[in-house]
Amino acid sequence: MKTNAKKSIMNLAPVFGLIVLVAAFLIVGHMKGINISYGLKSVINQSVVVAVVATGAVFIYTLGSFDISLGASVAVSAILGGMVYIKTGNLLLMFATCIGVAVLVALTNSVLASIFNLPVFVTTIAMLSVLNAMVLLLIGINGTGSEISVPSDAVAHLDNIPFKVAVLALYILACVFIFNFTPIGRKEKFLGGNPLCAQLTGISIKKYSIIAFIISGIGVGLGAFLSIVYAPTLTRSTASSVGMDVIIAIVFGGMPVSGGARSKIYAALIGAFSMTFLSQIMTLFNLNSGIGQIVKAAIFILVVFIAASNHRQKELPR
Amino acid sequence: MKSNSIIKRVLGAVCIPIITFLIIFIICQSRGIALFDSKSHWIIFLRAVASVMLTTFALSINLNSGRFDFSIGAISLLSSVISAQICIKLGLPVVVMLLISIAVGMLLGLISGTIYVITKLPPIIVSLGVTLLYEGIAFAITAGYGVSFVTNYELTSFPSIRNYLLVIVIALALIILIFDYTSFGYKYRSLLSGQKVSINTGIKEIPNALGCYIIAGGLMGVVGVISSTNTGTIQMSLNFGSIGVMFTAFLPMFIGGFVGRFCNEKIGYLIGAITTAFISLAYARLKVDSSVQQIITAVILVCFLIYLNNEKKIFKFKKTKKE
Repeated sequence: MKTNAKKSIMNLAPVFGLIVLVAAFLIVGHMKGINISYGLKSVINQSVVVAVVATGAVFIYTLGSFDISLGASVAVSAILGGMVYIKTGNLLLMFATCIGVAVLVALTNSVLASIFNLPVFVTTIAMLSVLNAMVLLLIGINGTGSEISVPSDAVAHLDNIPFKVAVLALYILACVFIFNFTPIGRKEKFLGGNPLCAQLTGISIKKYSIIAFIISGIGVGLGAFLSIVYAPTLTRSTASSVGMDVIIAIVFGGMPVSGGARSKIYAALIGAFSMTFLSQIMTLFNLNSGIGQIVKAAIFILVVFIAASNHRQKELPR
Repeated sequence: MKSNSIIKRVLGAVCIPIITFLIIFIICQSRGIALFDSKSHWIIFLRAVASVMLTTFALSINLNSGRFDFSIGAISLLSSVISAQICIKLGLPVVVMLLISIAVGMLLGLISGTIYVITKLPPIIVSLGVTLLYEGIAFAITAGYGVSFVTNYELTSFPSIRNYLLVIVIALALIILIFDYTSFGYKYRSLLSGQKVSINTGIKEIPNALGCYIIAGGLMGVVGVISSTNTGTIQMSLNFGSIGVMFTAFLPMFIGGFVGRFCNEKIGYLIGAITTAFISLAYARLKVDSSVQQIITAVILVCFLIYLNNEKKIFKFKKTKKE
């Protein structure tokens, strides 16, 4: 009984972590005399893209895989979406392009991995290189040489918190439904936990891997669209940190890297907001970027260590 | 029969770099460009071989054991920052910079490994945290400005054919010695092929894992010196900017894995590094845009892996077609 209670508390460590960080932000913000509502808006603006992309990525992580090219995919989708808007002036077409390109990239990754039997991490590393290069080429060919600008008037009416939160909420609700209440989620958890056993019961790893990448691609496309809405001037640094932020957010939120039954869809949301609150607290303390990153690293390892303390094996994990 | 087998093995080992060289040579010749036109081209080539070979060793030591390590780039960055700062302040020669960088790299590897064995977290997670930590320390030490010693003749005197050849030969010999001729290496290979069985037979996994992290750290210390003494500057990276170093090692690592069927796997990594160095030199000589370089390298990597992972199917298909 006591062990079960301890397990539950440990599993909720990321949630407690987020609560502590929110409280710390409010207390420090109040002490420093900052505008709290402006600070919270800033947190939402910074978290929403990572949260959307990371929520979709949970489906890939559940299979025990990971995709390092997500940030670069956000950038390419946003740039191509921006280019389409500049040519057509049609916002819907820009949205469709963002989603279409992101899903196409995800499909390429999954087809290469599942049809040609390539290790997913290598496929996505190769894709990361290609996409990063494409960002530079597309900006060089189509923009002013250093940027592609979508007129800010075109997206100004969408650059508000209710719209962003609505997009995030709708996507998360859809993902929660698929993950927790449909065979897709259950089979993906089974595949992540014991791929051999799952395949022997007739579950196709190829099919569910492709589905996972498509769901993740939709999240990337939404992230790309939200990136344009927040910053319509697209440069080589657009979404440059999203890729690694997504990995950090998912892990920070309590998602096991090995995937399987312990995977949690809410991990992405908690992780994304926790990391942003942490960054904001560092900024409030005027910490030099280097020191801020050291503190961030220490807290990251500590939280993940506490969250994973129920699941330690005798051998070193691989 | 025996000589046939030797010829087959030699051909298998050298076919990839030779084919790569011939393709590149033909492309360069068709454009009227000589691949090795001057001494500086040999220096560029050997620098790429040394740097890529060491990074491939560092990556593969842990990756082959299922430990994905994002932090090797950050170790290279921080060890070169610390060694360069000390040598600039004390006016020490470049050899001392190399030794300090190796020592610091080993220490950083030890810290990284210790966090891994104490926390027992998946290595990929530990390496993410450690990358952030080391990048942050390097940034804080230099106040974000990086290190510059462009005018320091002593420290920028490292790039030379002799030095790079020495680095390649010594590192290769040491790695073969450690992993093929010591009990540490036997235990490493045993753990690699069966973790549980090896532990049950009495092999201590923790010292072996720590040893791997220390060796990988030392190798990345050398890579840090090679890259910083080339330009005389060390630029700072934050938010995982240092992980790019790791990507350079994937193609040679897989080439090495393929070539390893015909010769020692470590020599395979050297051959992989030589192949990628040919490609890098060709990019430089043909003035290929860096974005296009990235795309070509990624496509080569994927094509090579598609072949490698579907080799049996391809041969089976060919055989059925013949019949």
